[in-house]
Amino acid sequence: MSESETKKKTNVFSWFRNMWMTNLLFSTGMALIVMIVLQTLALGFNYDTVGTWFGTWLQNWINILRNNAGIGIIALGMTFVIISGGIDLAVGSTLVAIGAVLMMLIDTGPLGILQRMGITGVPAYIFAIILGIIFGIILGEVTGLLVTRGKLPPFIATLGTMKIFRSVTQHFMQGYTPVVPKPFLNIASISVGGQLLMPIIYWLILAAALYIVSTRTSFGRQVIAVGSNERATKLSGVNVNAIKRKVYVLMGFLVSLSAVIQVSRIGSMDYANAGSGYEMDAISAVIVGGTSMAGGKGTILGTVLGTLIIAVMNNLLNLLGVPPFLREAFKGVIVIGAVLLQKKDSSS
Amino acid sequence: MIVEMHNICKSFGANDVLMHVNFSLKGGEICALLGENGAGKSTLMNILGGVLPADSGEIILDGSTVTFETPAESLGAGIAFIHQELNLINDLPIYENMFIGRELVRKNGLLDADEMRRQTQQVFDRMGLELDPKTMVRDLDASYKQIVEITRALLMKASLIIMDEPTSSLTEPEIQRVFEMIRTLKEQGVGIVFISHKLKEVKQVCDRYTILRDGKMVAEGAVSGVTTDDLARYMVGHDIRTMALQRDRTVSHDVLRAENLTDEKNFRNISFTVRAGEVLGVTGLLGDGRSELFQAIFGAGSDYTGQVFYEGRPIKLRNTTEALDYGIGYLPRNRKENGILKDMDILENGTIVSWPLISKFGFINRKKQNQEFDEQVKDLHIKLEEKTDLITSLSGGNQQKVVLAKWLCTRPRLLILDNPTQGVDVGAKEEIYDIILKLADNGVAIVVLSSESQEIVRVCDRTLVMYHGALHGELKGEAMNEHNIMRLATGTLLN
Repeated sequence: MSESETKKKTNVFSWFRNMWMTNLLFSTGMALIVMIVLQTLALGFNYDTVGTWFGTWLQNWINILRNNAGIGIIALGMTFVIISGGIDLAVGSTLVAIGAVLMMLIDTGPLGILQRMGITGVPAYIFAIILGIIFGIILGEVTGLLVTRGKLPPFIATLGTMKIFRSVTQHFMQGYTPVVPKPFLNIASISVGGQLLMPIIYWLILAAALYIVSTRTSFGRQVIAVGSNERATKLSGVNVNAIKRKVYVLMGFLVSLSAVIQVSRIGSMDYANAGSGYEMDAISAVIVGGTSMAGGKGTILGTVLGTLIIAVMNNLLNLLGVPPFLREAFKGVIVIGAVLLQKKDSSS
Repeated sequence: MIVEMHNICKSFGANDVLMHVNFSLKGGEICALLGENGAGKSTLMNILGGVLPADSGEIILDGSTVTFETPAESLGAGIAFIHQELNLINDLPIYENMFIGRELVRKNGLLDADEMRRQTQQVFDRMGLELDPKTMVRDLDASYKQIVEITRALLMKASLIIMDEPTSSLTEPEIQRVFEMIRTLKEQGVGIVFISHKLKEVKQVCDRYTILRDGKMVAEGAVSGVTTDDLARYMVGHDIRTMALQRDRTVSHDVLRAENLTDEKNFRNISFTVRAGEVLGVTGLLGDGRSELFQAIFGAGSDYTGQVFYEGRPIKLRNTTEALDYGIGYLPRNRKENGILKDMDILENGTIVSWPLISKFGFINRKKQNQEFDEQVKDLHIKLEEKTDLITSLSGGNQQKVVLAKWLCTRPRLLILDNPTQGVDVGAKEEIYDIILKLADNGVAIVVLSSESQEIVRVCDRTLVMYHGALHGELKGEAMNEHNIMRLATGTLLN
């Protein structure tokens, strides 16, 4: 009896080991589960009854998801960028620039652009969002052109646009505080079942859509092909430059959606600091999710898991009362640890 | 020095790569290690070179048993492994490359360039080479790079050198240069393992041969006692054909006509036509500009002047997507760099070109994708386990067929094949020739770019020979033989 039991145990163990070594999503998922267990334990200390405990647990989760929806959406786009072999350091600055344009449009103060044109209410919001998205797409196209036509390395191109977008935004917005109309806040703050779920819903819908784009469409597969071997992809009749431009346009589009959510959640924007560090947070989430910086490898699902791992870790550090200055260090450890694990996987 | 490998076994998972293989070599001897791709040659040599451990068996060096855990240990024992992809750094001069990782330093901790140059010069003198140690590696041609690798092995006091396909990227005069070097080494008592697919070279330079097939040693002996046909038969296990392939040569309309194509650097004044149902060869030595010429025509190369007519219409392709629209296919040279997507599976590698054609609203029609690829797998006899395995799990020949399949899925009317049998074993080579001829019979216009004159003679109806970017002659029928091709390719005119 004990023999067969041992045998069974080894089988489970070797299955687990095999999955761990070969399937990046599996190891990322396991890491997330471990984090969630730790977080659940940390949360459980002060509660006696199961009902209230679960309520708190759920509430905590909704908060985590909502707080990370913005970065989660940006990380989705960053996944495409990194898979294609690129990088986008300008997402935070782009967010601020789009946010500024959006708020200038919907401002109900004397300087509000749409208001002065006589457009108010819901049409104004729709109009502003569409223009905001178009602006995001244009900024993405600028990066795309710098990378393809200008033949700049994406790191350099976006390092430049990062500085430009934020600095120009700050310059034009100094001394101007737009008033965001209350109804606009509903976009993110309309309550579903007594909870503020909208940002989470936007994030999950986009994740699902982009998962399908990445796995099922010609564009999604061509992005992976470009990252895997650009020359071979070009020689396969694929317009590589068009694909790269589309990737940055997609990034700009997603940043503009994130900007809409950010503005409608907070109702204002700090042009100097909003979105700063977003590029690194998004890149971290993508890397932790198993996407290779060298391009050609990566999944949307992995990025969602990566975003959650970092989010849960932040929450855990909060619950454990780790001093704020130390928290970034843990993020660093997670990123390095994840990549070390992935390295072991790919070399074996 | 005598090295003996006894009863070497090695398997990767359930796959037995080597089964009780014996191999031996002594100083002053050149032994050819032959076999098709996947026969186990590289694995055997990787074991000797300390790259891989053997599962069982022993290595005996001058009478004592040794084990090599790392390449450094093997090198320390005097065994140097020169890989097919050279390990030289283009941006450093020769002498620094010679000492990379073991640089000589002065007492003050700075590099002792003078001493490194002196020792390098010493080895060059010993080998009778007229090379300046200060030359940048970037400025050397392929054969001298190979030679620098070999002399580096000597500098490290190697008495046994393993060379993995040392001539695969060299032109004929360069090959002769490397062979001279190999013969000098032999005279100085160095033992050499020569891994190659080119049997004529084996006859030229080797003393003995050892042939592996499916992980077993199937033949060994003195090279002087066998013909290249014998060797080829041992390798594949059955007779292979060597004469020109016969077929019904009916050609119809012009598919591609080029007039005075010239770019600034690589080719000038090129005019030719290819007709439907015809196999046109384009050959020459390395640096003749043929690859650059056809990449330019395909829309993936440099800008050019002159005019290309495709099915009678003047065209100029600005990118490869346009080529696809016109029904022009292109199989690039250097499969690893230009052909395969190493992170993607076999199915995707074999259908990437047709994704836009089988997509609706951007979504790839998976049923069609599978159908089309299955058809190619059947037609091209591609051997694979699962379509969802990585492309890198296939042998070279099958990888090449998958790369070819991605273009055949689009039913091209003009197919440009650059070095279609590079790194492919004898059996797969024949299969690829058969595929080429079958396509031509079905009315596809085919251009085969190759530096192997044997291949040109075997598969082409007609061939253009290029020399330093210019068209130097055209051969067909009886006149299309290896001798004439070589004369034109080296710049001599036929009388």
